[in-house]
Amino acid sequence: MTWTWRGLRPILESILAGIIGLAAGALIMWGWGYAPWPAYVALFKESFGSGYGLASALANATPLILTALTFAMGARAGLFIIGAEGMMYMGAMGAIALSLLRLPAGLHTLLALLCAAAAGILWGLVPAVLRAFRGVHEVISTIMFNWLSHFLAFYLVANVLVDPVRAEKTLSVAKTSRLPLLMRGTDLSLGMVVAAGLAFLAYVFLWHTVAGYEIRAAGANPHAARYGGVSPQKTVLLVFALGGAMAGLAGAVEVMGRPPTYAVYSGLTNISGFGFDGIGVAMIGRIHPLGIIPAAIFYGGLQAGARLMQMEAGVPFEMVRAVQGVIVLALALPELTRIFRVFRQRRKGGEA
Amino acid sequence: MKKLWLVLLAALLALPAWAGRVALILDVGGRGDLSFNDMGFKGTEEACADFGWEMVEIQSATSADYLPNIRNAARTGKFDLIICVGFLLADALNEVAPEFPNQKFAIIDAVVSHPNVLSIVFEEQEGSALVGALAGMLAAQYGYPYVGTVLGIEIPVLYHFEGGYRFGIDWGLKKYAAVTGKAADVGLLWVYTGTFSDIAKGKAAAEAQLEQGAVAVYNVAGPLGIGILEAVTAKLAKEGREAGPPFMIGVDANQDWMGDGNKVVASMMKRVDVGCYTAIKLVQEGTFQGGVLSLGLKNKGVGISRYQELLDFIDFGIKAGAITEADRARIIANWQAMRAAIPEWIWQAVDELEAKILSGEIVVPKPETREEMLAVRAQYPLTR
Repeated sequence: MTWTWRGLRPILESILAGIIGLAAGALIMWGWGYAPWPAYVALFKESFGSGYGLASALANATPLILTALTFAMGARAGLFIIGAEGMMYMGAMGAIALSLLRLPAGLHTLLALLCAAAAGILWGLVPAVLRAFRGVHEVISTIMFNWLSHFLAFYLVANVLVDPVRAEKTLSVAKTSRLPLLMRGTDLSLGMVVAAGLAFLAYVFLWHTVAGYEIRAAGANPHAARYGGVSPQKTVLLVFALGGAMAGLAGAVEVMGRPPTYAVYSGLTNISGFGFDGIGVAMIGRIHPLGIIPAAIFYGGLQAGARLMQMEAGVPFEMVRAVQGVIVLALALPELTRIFRVFRQRRKGGEA
Repeated sequence: MKKLWLVLLAALLALPAWAGRVALILDVGGRGDLSFNDMGFKGTEEACADFGWEMVEIQSATSADYLPNIRNAARTGKFDLIICVGFLLADALNEVAPEFPNQKFAIIDAVVSHPNVLSIVFEEQEGSALVGALAGMLAAQYGYPYVGTVLGIEIPVLYHFEGGYRFGIDWGLKKYAAVTGKAADVGLLWVYTGTFSDIAKGKAAAEAQLEQGAVAVYNVAGPLGIGILEAVTAKLAKEGREAGPPFMIGVDANQDWMGDGNKVVASMMKRVDVGCYTAIKLVQEGTFQGGVLSLGLKNKGVGISRYQELLDFIDFGIKAGAITEADRARIIANWQAMRAAIPEWIWQAVDELEAKILSGEIVVPKPETREEMLAVRAQYPLTR
């Protein structure tokens, strides 16, 4: 009985938070003179009310699942990895670079994915080593590395991977290395299967292997874990590597699986923001790999529905974003409060 | 029988008037750019007011949204026309247009070849010839050795600007010789910066041209104009003056009002607003057809800025929050003083060139490929 309650409690909390968020969003729209009911009808009709809408929600969810996993892995080990954004840029660059080679389809896709994952891992290496051996806080270093990645990617897009006849974008990913669409006339690609599969693997790893147990132990109580023989250095390096791979793959699924251009636009306008949105998704999903999947689909649905809120309910773009922000914030609150509670307790424990 | 017709006619009139709906899809630049997107909005808004249409504006958060935004707008089936503003949307429209063969689309500044898409492009070379002639005559008149231009990335559409500018400068210098009886020794300084976003590069390139004695720098790089204007302002400050020469020549929107009205001598306007307005008008009149619609001097798609456009675009600047109502009178006075200081025959010559292009007496070269561009460069080398 207690087991059932403990399993259900976070879900019920999240549902309650969602209702509060929707109510707050409705209040904002009402306050500015927009009718909330038709706006929400448009939002949910588009995101979950049709096959096409659902496909859009799933397509939007694909990279978010992966960047959310980066944050969730770190959070489970007691690390705040804010670096998924930068790792994702490098993953996208890696996927495009590898697709310049000529290889048979299938193998080409696989190698491009591996190359993107490797690029993400490499990008996390320096912050990981600094954290593991020098105690440099990962929040600071990963934020700095996001900016380094931002400008490096800018340079690569404009000068190295640039499409010579269309300077506003990089070369397009080769046809042989694209992720095939699961549904014609939508954006939904095989990348979704990759992302959901990795989320499931992450769950198995964290909850059903020794290394995963050690990571969670280090996050729950670092002192006890060290006492119990868990190497903190090894934990940090492992978590950063896994997180880097996930974020790198997020870049790959976006450029290899998202029609029509299959390239990165100058200004990185089609790969920006997923790393940060992933943090919100991880919070909504209670930093649990299996919670992240529905959280990302919900978040992706909000994005898909935003179009119809503009088109059918006449709610302007900025207002749509504000309402979405309120809903996401409300949904993230239960996890945020839990994390801060844990940290405060840990600090108290450290002082005692 | 006649009565029946009258009854039918009355019934038709009694029906509520058909009101069209248009979706305006913008790229990630979005509103507030004082250029492309804001002009697209302006033209659509005006057409909606004139024809009683309803507009829905759809902004894109990331460029991954282009395809789903267009597809969703088409899926609703509610829009009589979907306008995509900017060439960045071309790939996405190319994908969606065949999926919805009965939906009318228009795209600005790109060609998407499907029977239900109206591609609206501009004769940039015609407007560029006018500002080129102006720049050439100014250099000769004021004794400057060069005219300048700072361009963005070397892509085919920019060849229209460069080709027209070269032709115009050459025409202006010949005109000067004919009017004054003196030959002018004026060259062209030109550089492709390789960017449409690095404002510092625009400033550095313009500084170099102004140092060598360019009388005006033509901005063919969109946002880099901010850097070009900074360079012009700094050069004038060094010489202890406020008004040019040297000048900047604006592009796309009318940029004459920037820099207090006395540093941008003229602008080569590419009227995205006219494009959007025209597309809606064609649907309203029932004459919409897929294909390429090229807007030039003839249909006011491009042009050199004049007084009426200054007034329009000061409103535009105020609406966007770039300047305030308090600046209006000063900018107008500065602009009028700047233009009045330039000899009248120069403005008449610009008008003459415009009339000759309009009548077809003069055809401005329109290079489309690198080879054609090289040929135009060889024809009008403008070295000294």
